Amino acid sequence: MADLGYIALLLALVVAVYSAVASILGARSRNAELLSSSRNGIYALSGLLTLSAIALFYALFTRDFRLEYVASYSSRDLSAFYTATAFWAGNAGSLLFWAWTLSLFAALVVALNRRTNRELMPYVIAVIAVTQAFFLLLMIFLSNPFAKSAFPPADGMGLNPLLKDPGMAFHPPTLLIGYMGFTIPFAFAIAALITRRLGDEWVRVTRRWTLTAWLFLGVGNFFGMWWAYKVLGWGGYWAWDPVENAGLMPWLTGTAFLHSVMIQKRRGMLKVWNMILIIVTFCLTIFGTFLTRSGVLSSVHTFAESGLGPLFLAFIGVSLVGSTALLASRLNDLRSEDELDSFVSRESTFLLNNLILVGATFAIFLGTVFPVISEWVKGVKITVSAPFFNQVTGPIFLLLILLMGVCPLIGWRRATLRNLLRNFLYPLITAVVLAVVLFLLGVKVWYALLGFAISGFVLGTIFLEWFRGVRARHRTRKENYIKAFLNLVWGNRPRYGGYIVHVGIILLAIGILGSTAYKVEKEVTVSPGESLSIKNYVLKYENIDVYRTSKEWVAAATLSVYNGERFRGTMTAEKRFHDNYQQWVSKVAIRSNPLEDLYVIFSGWEEIDGPAIFKVVVNPLVLWIWIGGGVLILGAMIAFWPERARPAPRRTEVKA
Amino acid sequence: VKLKGLSCIISALIFSFLFAAPAVAQDLSVDDVARQLICMCGCNSVLPDCVHLECGVRESMRGEIAAQLAAGKSKAEIVQFFVDRYGEVVLSAPPKKGFNLTAWLTPFLALAAGGGVVYLLLRNWVFQGKSPAVTPSPEHSAIDEEYHRRLEKELIEFREGR
Repeated sequence: MADLGYIALLLALVVAVYSAVASILGARSRNAELLSSSRNGIYALSGLLTLSAIALFYALFTRDFRLEYVASYSSRDLSAFYTATAFWAGNAGSLLFWAWTLSLFAALVVALNRRTNRELMPYVIAVIAVTQAFFLLLMIFLSNPFAKSAFPPADGMGLNPLLKDPGMAFHPPTLLIGYMGFTIPFAFAIAALITRRLGDEWVRVTRRWTLTAWLFLGVGNFFGMWWAYKVLGWGGYWAWDPVENAGLMPWLTGTAFLHSVMIQKRRGMLKVWNMILIIVTFCLTIFGTFLTRSGVLSSVHTFAESGLGPLFLAFIGVSLVGSTALLASRLNDLRSEDELDSFVSRESTFLLNNLILVGATFAIFLGTVFPVISEWVKGVKITVSAPFFNQVTGPIFLLLILLMGVCPLIGWRRATLRNLLRNFLYPLITAVVLAVVLFLLGVKVWYALLGFAISGFVLGTIFLEWFRGVRARHRTRKENYIKAFLNLVWGNRPRYGGYIVHVGIILLAIGILGSTAYKVEKEVTVSPGESLSIKNYVLKYENIDVYRTSKEWVAAATLSVYNGERFRGTMTAEKRFHDNYQQWVSKVAIRSNPLEDLYVIFSGWEEIDGPAIFKVVVNPLVLWIWIGGGVLILGAMIAFWPERARPAPRRTEVKA
Repeated sequence: VKLKGLSCIISALIFSFLFAAPAVAQDLSVDDVARQLICMCGCNSVLPDCVHLECGVRESMRGEIAAQLAAGKSKAEIVQFFVDRYGEVVLSAPPKKGFNLTAWLTPFLALAAGGGVVYLLLRNWVFQGKSPAVTPSPEHSAIDEEYHRRLEKELIEFREGR
């Protein structure tokens, strides 16, 4: 079966190269048979890679330790759930997952566009097939999931204990699909450049694909935060680790792209800019895969390292140079079809939003690579870590959420003073009142106060907009408020889905602000029976329990939690030591409520029943980060939901 | 003029963000100093956040900080002690001086430059348009706008008491 998987990979490489060549030749010579065979090539690719994926799953489940990959990431005692997730625990499997899901997406793209976009499709196929070929080359020559070892062990290493978390089923696959997904809009963009069909065609076709990739990447990042918070056990959710940054950057540029294509759709402007954005986003997704998979920068993700680096860099270089050259050669065809009517319009606020999103990405990129730059320029090793990113991106992100409140309420084309006053008066009052109340309640950290006020303003603008729509429906159509709200949202899903995503982002911002400005942490040594106190909590260390499971030592410390005088229950924080991985792993204990999280890390002990060290953290408002993530997913799904087919609004008709 | 004022305010905000002295702590805790440093065990995380307890580096560095605090050393002195021992790499963020200043300032300079480009583009598009007499025409709109208009109409109808 493993051999079958490997053979399928080899065949897939041949088919990918063939599809790329056939589709280009077919398009040049207008040879329908060649074109049709290149489409079949894409279907065949999805079949072959599915076969490969099944072969790897099969090897994992049958404990075929002749395969190095299976021996490195699984063991006989691994549950079915974690055996399945071992698929993406290492390099080779992650690459296979990337290529496999891309082949499925590609087959769907081809199937959906059998009769449409005939001009674009051959080049779309070519770009996807070339990308696919690159990943297949990596797998076949450098990181083969089906490589066999000369001396198969009796049992495998097992999954790294840090990876043994339900998050393992969600974080890597969603992030990888997010990275991979941007290949589709990128392929359409390149096809549009090659064929000089540079209107809004490619933008319309790719909207849902972009949204899908963006959603998966965002969800992948959220799951990553959640996992870091629950499992890594240092009391936070985002460490500005290079690999985290790599996941955030394409998401930010992808967000910019999702917004700026709206202007191309409506007004036929910003065409060059949209091309640049999608090219940059694609390169950043490859860069992200590369950072995760190469280990050039040390990070919490160094579960998987290899010599893939130079090839990844070469691929990114070729993509970047090639597409930029192509773009440059098409500049004449990318002139704007329209111009703006006013400085203060939706269009200009979109430009600002794009500027800030790209600026934030640039800041994060610079910080991520600056250690390398410093070593080149000065020969001095330095570290660029959380304090840098917080201080530099903090003001940029605050500005961004402020724009998020302002932009959607500024009319397209031209905003009047009356329009501005009508939309902004109440939210502004809300923000000021909120700031005063919070200040009186004791919120004195100025950036938190500013951030909360901005959040209040943005939520105010969104709710005001919803309220007006709902009231209008209620009064004119006699619908009750709930029905009116649902109909309002359902009547224009892209718009209201977008608003809901904005609400999610604001909740996320509130959670981040609260837990950054008002985090309290303490590291204390206590003996059994003794208590420690943090804020209004008192924790009494009851006892420690040390026991063995089949492959791990577990030390579990139990504490009773009192809030003031009231007993609130017990918390058990653990440390585990796995035989094969000589490393202590924490299992933190968290008590969560909407106001704050109590987070206990069992750091260590000197002797059983003797003093033990605890790190205790009170993290305000963290729950809102996860709620914000849920709201964001909901909004994106509403925006994605297919609409009934209606005649596409044609901008060009007016021009003609 | 208005724009200039706004950009002044924004840059003032940014600078205060970057260079504001952190609130004066009455009693310096180990973590206040430790946040300035990274753990040298190879994990690259900010010292208090290192999770690789088995290597012991975190504890010995924290112990050193606690000892020096007890001896009455200032935060700057303790941080300097670690820089002398490990080099600049031990700092959790590069100091805001010399070449490292480029890392701190380039993002904002780039944003300002980008803002300038956006401003010029807008001026170009707005004032030197090819067809200056574009009037907002309803057919011009897509779904959003049509929807918005309907909403406006309903609101007006409502206000007129229908």
